[in-house]
Amino acid sequence: MTDNAHKTLSSTAVTVPPAPPVLKVQGLGKEYRLYASPRQRLKALLTGRTYHRSHWALQGVSFELHRGQCLGVIGDNGAGKSSLLKMMAGTMQPSVGSIARVGRVTAILELGAGFHPDFSGRDNLYFGGSLIGISSAEMARLEASIIEFSELGDAIDRPVKTYSSGMSVRLAFALVTAVEPEVLIIDEALAVGDQHFQKKCIERIMAFRKSGCTILFCSHSPYHIRHLCDVALWLDGGQVKEFGATEPVLGAYEMHTRLRNRQDALESDDVPDAGPQQEGAEPAAAPPAPAPAPPPDDGLSARILSVTLADLGEVADGQGPALLNSRDLVATITVRGLGDERPNVGFMIEQSKGVGITSLATHEEGAEPVRLPNGHWQSVLTFPNLPLHSGEYVVSAFLFDTSGLVVYEQWYQFLHFRFVTPTLMPGLVRLPHHWS
Amino acid sequence: MIRSLLEEARALWRARALVKVMTRREIAARHAGTALGIAWPYIQPLLTVAAYYLVFDVVFSMKLGDGAPTKAVGAFLVVGALPWMAFCDAVSRGMNSLIEAGGVLQKNALPPVVFPARSVLASAAIYGPLIALVALAYIPSHGLSPALLSLLPLLALQLLLSVLLGYVLAILAAALRDTVQVVGFLLSVGIYLSPILFPLSLFPEAWRWVLWLNPMTAFVMAYQSVLLLGVWPDSAVWVAALAWMAGLALVLNILVKRSRDQLVDWL
Repeated sequence: MTDNAHKTLSSTAVTVPPAPPVLKVQGLGKEYRLYASPRQRLKALLTGRTYHRSHWALQGVSFELHRGQCLGVIGDNGAGKSSLLKMMAGTMQPSVGSIARVGRVTAILELGAGFHPDFSGRDNLYFGGSLIGISSAEMARLEASIIEFSELGDAIDRPVKTYSSGMSVRLAFALVTAVEPEVLIIDEALAVGDQHFQKKCIERIMAFRKSGCTILFCSHSPYHIRHLCDVALWLDGGQVKEFGATEPVLGAYEMHTRLRNRQDALESDDVPDAGPQQEGAEPAAAPPAPAPAPPPDDGLSARILSVTLADLGEVADGQGPALLNSRDLVATITVRGLGDERPNVGFMIEQSKGVGITSLATHEEGAEPVRLPNGHWQSVLTFPNLPLHSGEYVVSAFLFDTSGLVVYEQWYQFLHFRFVTPTLMPGLVRLPHHWS
Repeated sequence: MIRSLLEEARALWRARALVKVMTRREIAARHAGTALGIAWPYIQPLLTVAAYYLVFDVVFSMKLGDGAPTKAVGAFLVVGALPWMAFCDAVSRGMNSLIEAGGVLQKNALPPVVFPARSVLASAAIYGPLIALVALAYIPSHGLSPALLSLLPLLALQLLLSVLLGYVLAILAAALRDTVQVVGFLLSVGIYLSPILFPLSLFPEAWRWVLWLNPMTAFVMAYQSVLLLGVWPDSAVWVAALAWMAGLALVLNILVKRSRDQLVDWL
């Protein structure tokens, strides 16, 4: 992580040129007028008097972004993230303040809206294009590449109502990203469709980024924000709490999340066992929440096949988790990649009831999984002389694509184990140290 | 004073290419999946008009009394009823346009005004040619009168009236859905509050002012004098039409100003 932080900080320093900002937001605010009933709303509209309570979803937000910068927007639910993104995209009008944008703004918010089910995909392409400012002459030029990217083939001439949800989302993504924008706005849904298409989506977004597109990215996943963004904006209760280089802002936000989670835990007396389902204890470094129930194994998609810990004892009834009968922790992770692509593997250790200890990934450290004769990939991760104090721990495993941006699968907190080490002093880990 | 309205007009002008595409699309969507296709939107009003003519003039040969612009009931009905049908179609589609476009507006950065505009324009593309057709059919009743030229400003004014009223109602409907029900009722009784079914002279003198509450009264009388008698519409008719237009423009200006930053949130 320290390495990464350095990278992030230095790249920020490089990407602030004296050029005028691509995006300039000043004193932005959004007031929601809450009326007791729609009747009050009509009365207010007709008389011009006030019949509402005000709720400011966003207040006094100002920042500037330059060409090529990538901003991550973080904050708790209801902090005003989506309001901010919608106003950037222009689908929502600010109540106060101003937004100055340069060039084409593309928003990947909710895909596939506005397609007419009775018309063919091709027809919807032309119409959807005109909604986002692509003239029909321009569309005639782009059509072939959009259809190719969406991989719809002959289905493009069938009515959209015959499409699966994946197909219409693919078409929508191909359409909105057909023209390279100056500003790209992405809300959470970084990747859509199946694993193969997810990769293509992310590759296209990274290509935009490389060629100087300014990106606004809203996500709950600190992992993705760290990977993509050089600046971060932390919204709290509709106001800017912190704005600056990603690592310090994200660090402060993660601290805030931990404190709040502990507060929550203290308030609710009977916290259930920290099982795999428990959301609240999600450590800050974890990749995003699990994808909805993994599809049945089709023998092709990227998967985690097995994760084993060496020298793990038997699970005895009523004894809690299995005991690790070794000084070393050796995890063997076997995965299947997508096609011939080399995947990356991640591994995380946390206290069973408590805090995260470490998370590691092959792409972070330049380690490559080894290809097995049957085409699968394997990484063996060894913690020699495991520097943990006695206690119960839980591990998670993650499967990434080559770039580390697509999370194909995660086994989140899937295995608990006990570890016993003789020590007199209290603590959690033995840090590398020396006395002199 | 009407700055908000002018801004809307400018936004509409800037988006004119989009409005053109959306209007075409709207017309296509009305008959998507049917075998007769584009003919359907035209056939229905045409059949209604033909039914009036057949029932009243061919089968029953009903006659109007003195003081009516023409003796044949069917011929009289058609001249008022077709523009009225055009008005009802345009206004009710315009009124519903914003509510129906909610999903699109929440996901695309578009000026809301394009939706009522495209609904009214799509309606005009259907009824405009039909009214022109009827005008041709009535040429024998008055010879080729130069007063026919006044149809152009009349149709243009009716289009503008429909856009203004459609947008006003669309904003009100966004604020309170009951608007749709109330206006639906008003449109269905409105035909009795106009000189469409009976000539103005048949209405009791003391109650004639009620007719002027209907924005279409002026237009219906204008169409009747041009198509049936071949004379230029009365100046009172122009004044009434322009007064309605000015009133609606002022109301729309206020509504747009008050709803601008929240309109999409209401959909």
